[in-house]
Amino acid sequence: MIEIVYELIRNGLLQPLVSMLVPAAIEVQALYMLEILVKILAILIPVLFVVAYITYVERKVIGFIQGRIGPNRVGVFGLSVWGLGQPIADALKVIFKEIIIPSGSNKFLFIIAPVLSFAPSLAAWAVIPFSDTLVLADINAGLLYILALTSLAVYGVIIAGWASNSKYAFLGAMRSAAQIVSYEIAMGFALAGVLIAAGSLNLGDIVMAQDGSIIHWFWLPLFPLYVVYFISGVAETNRAPFDVAEGESEIVAGFHVEYSGMAFSIFFMAEYANMIMIAVLTSLLFCGGWLSPFQGIPVLGEPSIIWLLMKISFFLFLFLWFRATFPRYRYDQIMRLGWKVFIPITMVWVVVVAVLVVAQVGPWFN
Amino acid sequence: MLENYLPILIFLVLGLGLGIVMFVLGYFLGPNRPDSEKASPYECGFEAFEDAHMKFDVRYYLIAIMFIIFDLEIAFLFPWAVALDGIGMAGFWAMMIFLGELVVGYIYCWRKGALEWE
Amino acid sequence: MIEQIVFYCFAAMLIFSAGMVVSMRNPVVSVLFLVLSFFSCAAIWLLLQAEFLAIVLILVYVGAVMVLFLFVVMMLDINMTVLREGFVKFLPVGIGVAVLMLISMGLIVGSSQFDIAAVASVAQHDPGYSNTKELGLALYTNYLYPFEIAGIILLVAIIAAISLTMRKPRTHKTPKPEKQVSVKRKDRVRLVKMKAEKE
Repeated sequence: MIEIVYELIRNGLLQPLVSMLVPAAIEVQALYMLEILVKILAILIPVLFVVAYITYVERKVIGFIQGRIGPNRVGVFGLSVWGLGQPIADALKVIFKEIIIPSGSNKFLFIIAPVLSFAPSLAAWAVIPFSDTLVLADINAGLLYILALTSLAVYGVIIAGWASNSKYAFLGAMRSAAQIVSYEIAMGFALAGVLIAAGSLNLGDIVMAQDGSIIHWFWLPLFPLYVVYFISGVAETNRAPFDVAEGESEIVAGFHVEYSGMAFSIFFMAEYANMIMIAVLTSLLFCGGWLSPFQGIPVLGEPSIIWLLMKISFFLFLFLWFRATFPRYRYDQIMRLGWKVFIPITMVWVVVVAVLVVAQVGPWFN
Repeated sequence: MLENYLPILIFLVLGLGLGIVMFVLGYFLGPNRPDSEKASPYECGFEAFEDAHMKFDVRYYLIAIMFIIFDLEIAFLFPWAVALDGIGMAGFWAMMIFLGELVVGYIYCWRKGALEWE
Repeated sequence: MIEQIVFYCFAAMLIFSAGMVVSMRNPVVSVLFLVLSFFSCAAIWLLLQAEFLAIVLILVYVGAVMVLFLFVVMMLDINMTVLREGFVKFLPVGIGVAVLMLISMGLIVGSSQFDIAAVASVAQHDPGYSNTKELGLALYTNYLYPFEIAGIILLVAIIAAISLTMRKPRTHKTPKPEKQVSVKRKDRVRLVKMKAEKE
């Protein structure tokens, strides 16, 4: 379906546009570049849309969990449809707010920090496959690329904290940086486990290695890694219950205490884009991506992007559920969980998976 | 292979550009009326009186160093995992010995109390 | 054609950022430029079809080593004025070393070493080729011994880092989270049945 729409856009819109505006000599290259640009926008716009609306869903879900109704005033075109206009109103408000640059700060670093945390959180989307044909950059080292980009998330945090020249921001940044790198190790080992099981770094191949049915997906043979990966993902994105970086009751807002207006909301968007990313990766790596849980049954068993979207929504809901349910961890408990619990679990299970693969234990690895 | 990396490059540039555009938009559309109180760093109930860049516990450095070492180990695991079916039992045991060395180091860390946060 | 444009862009960026690393006043900005130069370097490696190494360069150097660098320069509070004090005094020595370096570099670059014809062109591979897999096949069979030595070196690094930083005996008393989380209700709370008393 999506392929047909894309062909229509390509032949009906891009081709005439290029042949009208560009000299014939570089027409092929120009069309190629334009195609890439259109594909990027086709990923970027939905991602930004989801980022905007996940804030609304978050407030609604937490509201319902706490017996409230959440935002319900801002409507669309004068109709108050459960407050659906809220994210748009928020975005408009935040654009027209003043960006305060603190007097003692390093201006250049202060301005560049939000951009540095935003760009990697978007660039990771380039290699995500949405179905077996729907992928922008089908690189062979996809998983490695994802891991490399997640490791860049720490820069925005450290630089923001240091450039603000505020004690709270600096404290929050150091805590947050140490937390992010600690959980990245557990995450890396969990990804290595997936890799051993799939035998390929290509994300599409990893999904296809889980072909079969719901028991063939990697969540079953890699169960400890699956749990560790998702929890590390929550910690990595500084979400509750691991949000000591912005623990508002002790260090006000952590590393972004001095940021206001749009500068603050760029950090905010990066956090949510990362959160969606973790949900997407968990569904791709452990839950069969676009594969159907009822494989073998006609119609219902067809692989489709709808399955992927359903899995992503489930994991996003888990993020919100965690936030509404768990009290915040203490910092020493966070570090202990990362270093003393998750790393041993993942190391042991990586070896177990390797043995399973070498011994060709069924039904997954034969 | 390279044609697969071109979209990534464009994506990265677009991401940087979008971040900058949003910042600039916010900067010019919002008011800009700083005063000394507003621009001073946040402090709770008193004037901020000293430079916020202070020395930190050595533990943070230790975390960073340990992170580098473990990150390297993970980097070694990646090609091994991909090539597992082609390197035979010798390759398998090579990584087991390598991981064994890592575990020795990890146990040493634990016993020395380097993993404890005070 | 695109390949060449990309190469020249990244090569220029690499030289520019490497220059900025040594010429910036603020050490934190220097580190950031070092990160940028690692990025451009990774892009050039990618152009040489070294996919795995390029991404590992970003993963290990940018993602880990540079974070340690940032920690160090941010918190060690380097006093730049003290560092600049002996600039004129050491200038002759510095120039001498620089000239020596230039001569030795000139000897290499001037010879046929860097002629494009002397270097093999980049091998072209079919789309299914995995750089990582080839590397794994070589590393864990032909280069087993160096690989194990690398493991030993990492072990030594762990021990060295800990013995350098944990010299003082632990004096703080800290709560043990593992004991705290394993606490059960019956260890802490005892409900006592009492008869209601009247006022």
